[in-house]
Amino acid sequence: MTDTPTDDGGAQPETDRPSVLVPLAVLEGESLPNGTAELLANARVVLLGYHVIPEQTAAEQAREHFGETAMSKLDELAGELAAGGADVQTRLVFTHDEATTIDRLIYEHDCLAVLVPNSTPRVESVLVALRGTVGIGRNTRLVLGLFADADVDVTLYHTLGEGESLDDGEAFLNGVKSDLVERGIAPDRVATLVDDASVPIDAVADRAESYDAVVMGETDPSVTTFVFGMPSAQVAERFLGPVLVVQRARPEE
Amino acid sequence: MVDSEPPDAPDTPLTSASASGPSPDDAEDLDTAAAAVDADTGEGELERTIGLVGGLAIGVGTMVGAGIFVFPGLAAANAGPAASLSFAIGAVVALLVALPASELATAMPRSGGGYFFISRGLGTAAGAVVGIGLWLGLVFASAFYLVGLGSYAGQVFLEAGVALPVDPAVPLGVAFGVGLTALSLFGTKNTAALQNGIVVLLLVILTLFLSYGSLDALGVFGAQRMPERFFPPGGALPVLQTAALVFTSYLGFAQVATVAGDIKEPSRNLPLAMVGSVLLVGVFYVVTIFVATSAFGSARLGEFGETAMVEVARSFVGFPGALAIVIAGLLATFSSANASILSASRAVYAVSRDGIIPEAASRLNLAYGTPHVALGLAGGPIVVLAATGRVALLAEVASFLHLVMYGLICVALIRLRRERPAWYDPSFRCPAGAAVAGVGGVASVALIAFMRPASIGVGAAVMLAAYGWYRYYATDLELEGDF
Repeated sequence: MTDTPTDDGGAQPETDRPSVLVPLAVLEGESLPNGTAELLANARVVLLGYHVIPEQTAAEQAREHFGETAMSKLDELAGELAAGGADVQTRLVFTHDEATTIDRLIYEHDCLAVLVPNSTPRVESVLVALRGTVGIGRNTRLVLGLFADADVDVTLYHTLGEGESLDDGEAFLNGVKSDLVERGIAPDRVATLVDDASVPIDAVADRAESYDAVVMGETDPSVTTFVFGMPSAQVAERFLGPVLVVQRARPEE
Repeated sequence: MVDSEPPDAPDTPLTSASASGPSPDDAEDLDTAAAAVDADTGEGELERTIGLVGGLAIGVGTMVGAGIFVFPGLAAANAGPAASLSFAIGAVVALLVALPASELATAMPRSGGGYFFISRGLGTAAGAVVGIGLWLGLVFASAFYLVGLGSYAGQVFLEAGVALPVDPAVPLGVAFGVGLTALSLFGTKNTAALQNGIVVLLLVILTLFLSYGSLDALGVFGAQRMPERFFPPGGALPVLQTAALVFTSYLGFAQVATVAGDIKEPSRNLPLAMVGSVLLVGVFYVVTIFVATSAFGSARLGEFGETAMVEVARSFVGFPGALAIVIAGLLATFSSANASILSASRAVYAVSRDGIIPEAASRLNLAYGTPHVALGLAGGPIVVLAATGRVALLAEVASFLHLVMYGLICVALIRLRRERPAWYDPSFRCPAGAAVAGVGGVASVALIAFMRPASIGVGAAVMLAAYGWYRYYATDLELEGDF
């Protein structure tokens, strides 16, 4: 019996395209929201079509019934993304629990970020919410990969933490900015913005309204990555636009 | 007509670019059989979402309802304090089958459990008899649990001081049967977390209750209790007969195998969940009988019937104890009945997927994504049988049909071990496999011999009918070694 999970050779990105997981409930009539193809034009997209089945139903049984329909729907969506310029891989999963599935695929494809798929009329400005220096490399990699060569204005955003002064915040963001500029993004495309807010999540959601998309991190490193139960989801819910949730590095097993 | 996914050649079609990712870790290496089933063959992959705790909860949740909350009164009436020996015998037989079944389950981690092993290991005829038998066995078991559930629901009225003109157990059981079937049809229930919570709560209540009861029985609280003669007047025979009767309380471990297709890391979790749940409930059953027969004489326990444990708890700590056990009994019999209805519908799916019964039976409801035909084929007969209210008969026929399957599981293990077909590559190997399976098989069949004639008659008739159906409908089907 052969070992199934084979290496498909081309999995390593030939460019430094960041990999982004796009989960869609493919049989719930969820289609690709407007602007997604544009937002992810420079990404290596892992398009996850999932179907949540009730506990009464065996996963095999659901696959037998819905597999073909779901797969052709998924291929259609993949085509839209590819037409926008993205490299696309598709995965179709029948599951009783989408959080488990999303989490597994983030790990298997070593995804830098997960998209909370919402629509946006255009992609011209992006708010990048940064909490601190921990894991900042992954945020900058995503921003550079997706937006360095695109006509997109990037605003780095930080809310002050306990004991942090306005100057500290600005120094932090300017450091990130000069790093981005050094690595190839035009200086006039990057702005910085610091707020002193008591509830960072509210501040991000409020600010987000004047942007087309949001990039933010996972919240608490002690909580495992259940994307949709997190503050990023709260932001997505209020903002109603696409949110890219940057994933923490996974410890090697 | 027949499921045609080759287990060893999931050639990924062009449309889905990958089953890539980092190298699989050790656990996944062991689970190649599982990985092959789950992998994308052009129609999507399958996520396994039930972990070890979930697996144990299914096993324990299905079993405790019967052994602790329905049988103690009946068992003690038949066998006296030696009924604890009857439960111990049941545990040993169940363990002897759970081990071979675990090995087969890791080689074939697919929905359908025992039916799947036997149809692939021994061929279509045996598979058809067992598959249809498993469906109806679970139907009988569910009906039995429902009557138990009805008894506890009726007890609620008693505790509340509401006098009812008729014994409400059967009507309430029927009502619950209709309700549960409807819930399964229309509810998008992801009750896995709820089920785990119920089982944990049950185990906590029972541990407290049995600890107190054991200490009391040993005279710690002063009230010296007169030990009854351990063996009943009839000697060993009633003990064995009771073992056959109460074996229904051990059917749950096979339920774990029926959802094998959803279990994570099946090579590790399936054996642990199956063997672990049998050991856990076995200990609880034996202690329960000890406590119950210490609190009351066996004859008196028998008069209390299905809800004997409520009276035992009342004798310890009065009304609060009785209330706790009524609630625990409701939860336990409810979760047993619910789990069995779902398993019965899985069994229907498994035989219909293979074409032993018309494929229409595995159809899914588009609006709810639920297997409405299979659930109907489970729920309908369950309600009818629950209406008969014949607790002992329902339990024994359920046991009979399961025991036949267990016997054949053991035969399948021995045969597969001897012939070693290329596809047979279990990641868990039952220690002393052939010997354990041999003893397990003989013990399973032997237990049947101690059932009352009516149960044997009904069980045999069901099996004959299943074989007749096979001859009529499915003779040209070849399932042996088919994946």
